[in-house]
This record gives sequence, structure tokens and C-alpha cells, in this order.
Amino acid sequence: MKRFYLAVAMSLLLCTGAFAHFQMLYTPESALEKGTTIELREVFTHPFADEHTMDMGKQHDSDKLAGVEAFYVINKDKKKDLLGTLKAITWKGNHNSGAAYQSQYKAKRMGDHLFVLQPAPYYEAGEGIYIQQITKMIVNVAGAPTDWDKELGLKAEIVPLIKPYAIWTGSTFTGIVKSNGEAVPFAEIEVEYLNRDVDLDKNAMGPAYVEAPQDSFVTIGIKADKDGKFTFGLPKAGWWGFCALGAGSDKEYKGKELSQDAVIWVQVKDMK
Amino acid sequence: MQKISVLIAILLMFSLSTACAHTALMSCFDEGDGTITCEGGFSDGSSASGVEFRVEQKGKVIMKTKMNEYSEVNFKKPEGDYQAVLNAGEGHTVCVDGQDIVE
Repeated sequence: MKRFYLAVAMSLLLCTGAFAHFQMLYTPESALEKGTTIELREVFTHPFADEHTMDMGKQHDSDKLAGVEAFYVINKDKKKDLLGTLKAITWKGNHNSGAAYQSQYKAKRMGDHLFVLQPAPYYEAGEGIYIQQITKMIVNVAGAPTDWDKELGLKAEIVPLIKPYAIWTGSTFTGIVKSNGEAVPFAEIEVEYLNRDVDLDKNAMGPAYVEAPQDSFVTIGIKADKDGKFTFGLPKAGWWGFCALGAGSDKEYKGKELSQDAVIWVQVKDMK
Repeated sequence: MQKISVLIAILLMFSLSTACAHTALMSCFDEGDGTITCEGGFSDGSSASGVEFRVEQKGKVIMKTKMNEYSEVNFKKPEGDYQAVLNAGEGHTVCVDGQDIVE
């Protein structure tokens, strides 16, 4: 009987590992009519299935969580450090809770506010590796495009070729996977839909919007072409995350394998 | 003469299509120090530097200037109701009501 429970526990662990980890950099609205203060949530989770929320900054050799390495925003070429705005929170997923952050930002000026979050590498015990997802998200104020397509030369980066905040349902998103400014040919990319209501007051995930007919639809695997470029059709309104696995130049952290990934979030809107 | 006419027609068509392809945009905020800043631009990302900007109150123009090199204007907040207007030509006028301009 003990063996049975062990087998069930192992299969659950394997199932958990099968879905994609995604660093969320969430705000409710990416296309603002005018400048305002916005809420942000920085959560390491599985946005479609929400079967496990990770403790951001988890290390293999210490119980202490490592802090975020970098968090900043660029508007009209001006960079502003936001590291000091992060407040530690506990994020409640539907199955567990995890260490995460919340912050506020005054998106006052017109144009694009390009956010970059570089969390500390997270130790994934199930795989014995570290994962670091360098994440971009863009908020626009009043429709003037200024910084959305900037290539920042990050160690792992998805450079958008379509404005991530101006996508109709049923259209597409195109990006180029890059590492230190160089395209990553045939990069492996995972795509997930944020399949949950996000409750900013309770710092919690709500119920699911849709059910996947099969696991291939939870985390959708695609590949970039020889120039690191990819295009993906977006069938439903909401937030979609793209994660280029192991695209970054850092391959090791604390003597263990590191998957340094590039994440970008795009928001899709229905034509009404 | 015919060549010049064709050239003028092509240039005219080009300028028309350029003018129609983008939208004038403006966003304003209260600096909290008794002044208002308005930023202008176009939907294709181009600057509104040099574009006419005016402040109107009860239908009268109380201030008229041009967007600066950074495509913005800073002015003293008027008492009462007012409108900030960016005038980038026919069909390219943007008006922001003072009541919608907050910190």
C-alpha cells in the first residue's frame, strides 16, 4: 500500500513538472487611456493549470530566499530602478501558496513603459536545476508607441515585432528570441494562457476560464525559425506568456545547471 | 510639364497617405506644483515637437504655444474649467478636458 501512495505521489510530482513554469509580471490593463498608478504582481507560477506556485528565489543550499536581481522600467529611453518598490507577499494559488511580490508604479508619462524583471535563479528540486526567467511586460499610456520594440541586449530576451498591448483576439504575436543581442536559432518556446482570474485584493488566483482537452494544450510547445523568429496565433482574450527555454548565456548557477529563460507577456483584446 | 505634374501628383498622394496613416495623441498630467504637463505625439511614434498647442477657457484661447523639443508643454494650471488642445491640422486635433487631468 505504501508503494501505491509513493507511486501516486511520484506521478503527481511528474505531472507538476510537465507544465511550464512562468514568471508572471502581471497588471490588469496594458493599454491605458491616460497616466495612472498601476498595480503589479510578480509571481512564479503555472498560469494555465495553476497546480503549483513556486517560492521566488528558492535556493538549494539555504532556506533563505534570494532576492530579485533587477527590476526596472524604461519610458522614452529613461530607465528607472523599481527594485525598492517590491514588497514580499504570499501568493495563494488554487493548490498551494508561494513567496511572491507586489508593487505599484506610477505610469504617468505618455508612451510605452517597458518593465524588466530579473528574479534570482529558482531551484527546481524535481529536476535538480535552477531556472531564471528574465521577464518583459509593456504598458502603454495614451497610444503613443515609444519603447515597446527596444532590444535591451539582455542575456535572454524576446524582442517583440508586434506591440504586446495591441493585439486583437484571433490575430498573432511575433517575436525574436535573442541572447546578448544575438538571435537564438530554433529556440524552444513554451506558450501558456493565463487561465485564471487574478484577485489583486486577496493576492490569489481564481477559478479557471477554460479546460484543456489534453496536456499538449496546457503548455503549447513551439519553435523559433533559423533567425530566432516565431509567430503564434492568439485565439482568446487575456494575457498570454511566451517563454524561450534556456535561451540565455548563463548555463550554471551555484554549481548546478541553470536554464536562463526569456519571458514576454502579451495582452489580447476582443473586438466588441 | 507633364512629368512635373505627375511628380506633384505623386508627392501629393504620398503626403496625403502619410497624414492619414497616423493619429495625433496627447496625454496630460498635473505635476502637483500648480502646473500641468501635456505630452503630444502620433500613433506612428513620431514627435509632436513644433505642433501648435493651446489652452482654452469658455471658448477663448488663454494660452498658445508649440510643443517643445521633447514633444511636451508645461503651463500654469488655470483656475476653473479649461481644455488643453493639440492642433496638428485638420482631423488631427486632440482636446483634453481639465477635469480629466489629475496627478
